[in-house]
Amino acid sequence: MTEMNLVQALNLGLSQAMEADPSVMILGEDVGLNGGVFRATEGLFQKFGPERVVDTPLAEIGILGASMGLAMNGMRPVCEIQFDGFLPSVLDQVVCHLGRMRNRTRGRYSLPLVLRAPHGGLIHAPEHHSEAPEAYFCHTPGIKVICPSTPQDAKGLIQAAINDPDPVVFFEPKALYRAARGPVPHEPYEVPIGKARVAREGGDLTFISWGAMVETCLAAAERLGQEGISAEVLDLRTLAPLDLEAILASAEKTGRVVIAHEAPNAGSWAAEISALIHERALLKLQAPVRRVGSWDIRMPLFRLEKYYIPDADRVVEAAKKTLSF
Amino acid sequence: MPLETIDRGRIERLEILSPAGIADASLAAVIPAERILEMYRKMVEIRLFDERAVKLQRQGRLGTYPQILGQEATQIVPPLCLRSKDWLLPTYRGQGSYYARGMELRYSLLYWAGDDRGTRFPEENNDMMFAIPVGAHLTWAAGLAWAEKLKKQDGVALAYLGDGTTSKGDFHEALTFAGQFKLPVIYLIENNHWAISVPREKQAASPTLAQKAWGYGARGLVVDGNDCLAVYKAVSDAVAAARAGLGPTVLECETYRMGHHTTADDASRYRSASELEAWKRKDPVARLRRYLALQGLWNDADEAKLLEEAQAMIQREIEAYESFPAPNPLNMFSDNYESAPWPLIEQRRELAELLELKKAHEPVFELPPAEGRFP
Ligand SMILES: Cc1ncc(C[n+]2csc(CCOP(=O)(O)OP(=O)(O)O)c2C)c(N)n1
Repeated sequence: MTEMNLVQALNLGLSQAMEADPSVMILGEDVGLNGGVFRATEGLFQKFGPERVVDTPLAEIGILGASMGLAMNGMRPVCEIQFDGFLPSVLDQVVCHLGRMRNRTRGRYSLPLVLRAPHGGLIHAPEHHSEAPEAYFCHTPGIKVICPSTPQDAKGLIQAAINDPDPVVFFEPKALYRAARGPVPHEPYEVPIGKARVAREGGDLTFISWGAMVETCLAAAERLGQEGISAEVLDLRTLAPLDLEAILASAEKTGRVVIAHEAPNAGSWAAEISALIHERALLKLQAPVRRVGSWDIRMPLFRLEKYYIPDADRVVEAAKKTLSF
Repeated sequence: MPLETIDRGRIERLEILSPAGIADASLAAVIPAERILEMYRKMVEIRLFDERAVKLQRQGRLGTYPQILGQEATQIVPPLCLRSKDWLLPTYRGQGSYYARGMELRYSLLYWAGDDRGTRFPEENNDMMFAIPVGAHLTWAAGLAWAEKLKKQDGVALAYLGDGTTSKGDFHEALTFAGQFKLPVIYLIENNHWAISVPREKQAASPTLAQKAWGYGARGLVVDGNDCLAVYKAVSDAVAAARAGLGPTVLECETYRMGHHTTADDASRYRSASELEAWKRKDPVARLRRYLALQGLWNDADEAKLLEEAQAMIQREIEAYESFPAPNPLNMFSDNYESAPWPLIEQRRELAELLELKKAHEPVFELPPAEGRFP
């Protein structure tokens, strides 16, 4: 075990995956010599060379589309889209082809590729650098979507994603790249895709979250604890497929659920989770499931981001409304 | 005859002013001296501003800021070739081109401080807000120019892009439209030789970027982008051609980003010091000053006066920027639709209540500021 931050854990995970399998390669803008704008690929170019860690032209559709071709011809590409705000341009390939290829070729071609991108706000970045676009991806059949919140999970999940035979979209909470620190085992390991984690046990209410908002929920739980309320925090880790069992177990245990995330509320992935709970555990609920997301407007420039993305105050308020229903 | 030449590409390069400040007299003579002096003054002003903005960022008084050091000629000169009703579409590295069109520098500062009030352009201009995802605005430029043509007006659109952005599909789709519909649009590539850490040679295997125009039925020209006189002539000619109905032009202006990509970047990780040194000798500002001095149009006293006035102007802009009152969070609900639908009305009320609540107690937890890098 070594203490490290989330971006270092990812870097180690990528490095070990490349050592283990010569077909693993990394593609993206500035991922080579510069080591990625967040340093997730730092040192890999020096270690594995320009054929396996490739600085591509500035062309996101090219990066993903070429990776799809590489994947269908025996390579295991891990491609990086530099920021969440530049993901929409690759949605055409993701929606129309990435998720469908296995099914439409009757299982002949699968796409063992990983599409990595930073996720979310709270780092005072310019416009289009703080988006939470997971719902667009979760809505696409045929792909898996992951968003870890601890260094240990980040390493285990990136290795699981690379080894997975299906396409995986891997969101990295950028507010936690350096802020989240924790012990990380040195040897290679996988954290299973599709399994949630109870980040904090509690009996009165459940917070469900992912990415950087897990920290916000833990802070909210801490605050409620001071008032004698015991909140459980469920870190989903995988958004598609959802860990239905863990979601229902916690919802049935506490009877009250608040789902917190960074994306605008309307049509968010929280709506799907809420619907699942209502469909399958209605009679165990003490209150309707409540969602806390960002407002249904464009993300403002960063001076106002803390009033846009839910903070612990807002999460606590939502919890109180649920508790007093 | 199995092989027949149908067309042969031809790429020309324009340079009027040598790095030593010697100009091709016949070409330089067509530009009025007053115009050249205006270019020089504005270039000096924007250079000083750029320097101050980087300092402000280092002092924590500004967010991530994209420097334009070395690119003053391509920033300042092209807008001066336009009328205010022509469309100007800069990139995020466009504070110089906005400034040349008359935008007050306080708004550039406000924008890079993460404040939405920073996107304010002079009313009389057709200035377009830039797109952070590179290339998105190139197709808009085609549409803006198209509407000029449909409305039988003689306006043109001038859109900037970087060398890296020529790789994006948007560039190719924009040129497809511009060529096909013979639109009065100019694509000005600021080839500053780097797209963050990726050098120009890694963007495209073609020897020039200007030649990409040719495949779409547009004219292409390589221009010395550190030579104000060449940039002025090339853009003016392209504008005249566009107004005359001759369609689009792609100008590849060869320049150099002498600073980091942004204040979040460290160019020493990927770029050699000797390359930078070589480009310093072609500095657009020093080069024009040499020319003006040789022509007897500029002397040390003029320079001292300009520097003093420019510093004072920039100081005023910084003070104006820093005295904007804090933004009201509730204003983020304005201007999303012409009239707000119910979710926004409801959510605005919720935020108002929350702000009241926040006044009552300090938040216990805030995520620590991450030392992220966000080019
Ligand atoms: C579509 C898109 N992808 C990635 C980025 C991140 N990014 C910001 S600037 C930049 C390099 C741009 O290079 P270039 O087009 O040459 O313009 P320059 O910054 O050199 O003026 C990159 C990759 C972006 N803004 N937009």
